[in-house]
Amino acid sequence: MKCLYFLLILFAGITSSMSQNKQLLYNVNGLPQSLLNNPGSTVNFDGHVGIPLFSKFHISVGSSGLNLYDIFDNSNPDVNKRVSSAIRRLTRNDYFTLHQQLEILSAGWRLNNGQYLSAGVYQEMDMFAYFPKDPALLVNEGNNAYINVPFDFSDVSFTGEILTVYHLGINKKINDKLTVGVRGKLYSGIFNVESIHNKGLFTTRDDPNTPNFYRHFAENIDVRVNTSGYASLNNSGMTVQQSTADLLKRSFFGGNVGAGFDIGGTYSLRENFRVSASILDIGVVYQQHDVENYLYYGSYATDGIEPLFPDVDENNNTIPYWDLFEDEVDRNLKDETLQENYTTWRPTKFNAAIEFGFEEMYDVCNYRRTYKRRNFNLVGLHLFGVRRPRTLNFALTAYYDRKFRNNFRAKIAYTVDDYSFTNVGLLVSKRLNKFNMFLAADNLFGYLNLAKSQNASLQFGLQFIFNKQ
Amino acid sequence: MSLFKLHKTLFLLVLCSLVLVSCVKGVDLDQREEIALTPDLQVSLLIFDVTAQDFNDPETGEFQSIIRDTVRLEFLDDSYIQDDLSTVEFSFKYTNSFTQAFRNKISFLSETNGVQHVVSFDILAGTKGQPVVTNWIEFIDKANIEVVKKSIKMVVELQAIPNQDPFEGELKFESKGLFSFEF
Repeated sequence: MKCLYFLLILFAGITSSMSQNKQLLYNVNGLPQSLLNNPGSTVNFDGHVGIPLFSKFHISVGSSGLNLYDIFDNSNPDVNKRVSSAIRRLTRNDYFTLHQQLEILSAGWRLNNGQYLSAGVYQEMDMFAYFPKDPALLVNEGNNAYINVPFDFSDVSFTGEILTVYHLGINKKINDKLTVGVRGKLYSGIFNVESIHNKGLFTTRDDPNTPNFYRHFAENIDVRVNTSGYASLNNSGMTVQQSTADLLKRSFFGGNVGAGFDIGGTYSLRENFRVSASILDIGVVYQQHDVENYLYYGSYATDGIEPLFPDVDENNNTIPYWDLFEDEVDRNLKDETLQENYTTWRPTKFNAAIEFGFEEMYDVCNYRRTYKRRNFNLVGLHLFGVRRPRTLNFALTAYYDRKFRNNFRAKIAYTVDDYSFTNVGLLVSKRLNKFNMFLAADNLFGYLNLAKSQNASLQFGLQFIFNKQ
Repeated sequence: MSLFKLHKTLFLLVLCSLVLVSCVKGVDLDQREEIALTPDLQVSLLIFDVTAQDFNDPETGEFQSIIRDTVRLEFLDDSYIQDDLSTVEFSFKYTNSFTQAFRNKISFLSETNGVQHVVSFDILAGTKGQPVVTNWIEFIDKANIEVVKKSIKMVVELQAIPNQDPFEGELKFESKGLFSFEF
């Protein structure tokens, strides 16, 4: 039951986030899914067909500065003290992410010219939010302890998207040393929310030159939340079935569309030493359907309401001070809902790795003929980065990839990122004739007690992989 | 069992058992029911600055010792006040350069003008060159917070207490509320 609670809370986005780093699949050349991390990776098979909906599922959640234990430690009953402590400790650059990917269709085949063509469809969800430090402090503690200290609304920054991706990639071995690849992508947006580049300060000052104890300032407030695919679901009163049908329609280009591409390559410096790199999701989605933008902007300062004595005007009418005050606020701090199209860039990712192999593999009956994978053992360093609204977020992974036999391999990886310094992940991949399955999990130590883990990631896949004789 | 099978079994066992048997320990998620946001908000309320002229009847021009004004505080009817307000600490401050003292009466009234709470105190006399400050703090605790929740109007009434000196000067008023919530 606790696990269930944990998952619910994670999915509710309260304490969890997830990264897009798929370090366990990167450079695993025997797996077709490796091509989604680097379209220019070396491909040592001649065809693949994924089991629909099961060829790859990936979910990861994480938080750069918080875990369940920080809040719900059962040895300390004062939960509110811990919430306050966590809010004070977290910074505006701490973040929460939630990422999920479900491959719907996946297939690939080697062309007669030796190039490898791969295509497929996958659904992806990516939610990312920086911790809104100042607004959280204001909501949790108020302004009493922060007189003359501004609350900065630029701390509010989040993005979220659910989309279907249709892709087609080509992988070409240029020569014995170099393999390159590119993948074109069409995005079909299901839902998008974006609130970045917000600004504005709210300050309560006790300036002795002002006529009241305090003067409240709202300075250069400019907060904007763009949404697409939200307004119709929120306002239409559709049934669950209608909403589901609508979401499915959006998955097939019935909503917002975009395009992008991945590029990548692998270069062998020596037989057993290679470098690889890729840039993924250089793409854009045009949000044009079912768009709604929520804006709040302006500047205003007030010392309070000023009664004039007497309380009637020249016509003997009561002066509506409050209404006048509200009108003045509304004139200066505007709240608008618009339907303006907007454009979102995908969270572009990049990978770079160096890999060294040892213990060369030979055909059982012919020691002169090496397998397409040259070494039983691979060690490597992998740098991952993803573009987020304020910065690039990085992860550095060291890994050891061991092929035990032609049909079983395992990869163990140690990753340093914003979530953890103790992230050890493991991938196992098993082939039964042409059928292949893999299971990978990150942050294994975290699974011992998920409450103390700041991230968790799981991926698995089932597919058929073919090799020409 | 060969070494290879042992490796394979071991890897699969570690991975599957960790993923499937993963658990959440040392936490009490029922504590989420106890989570409450408790902001203390300083809010400026009313200000004014009255002179001798404000004590003259606007129609007849004659001196009147009592003046009053009413301000609706519509936010007191908002749901966050009605549902979550815990305590309020009102602070009132007069800076008086009249040589006369004043009686102050601040009343909180309901929509139907029912008196919910009254704050009365005397404002000390000052001099033109040396204004005198009178501070007053009125704390409404949790047990009595309904008087604020039922209020919608704030009436400020000033009564001048004449003396032999000429009636001239300035009376400045500042006020704020420290609203404590428990969401």
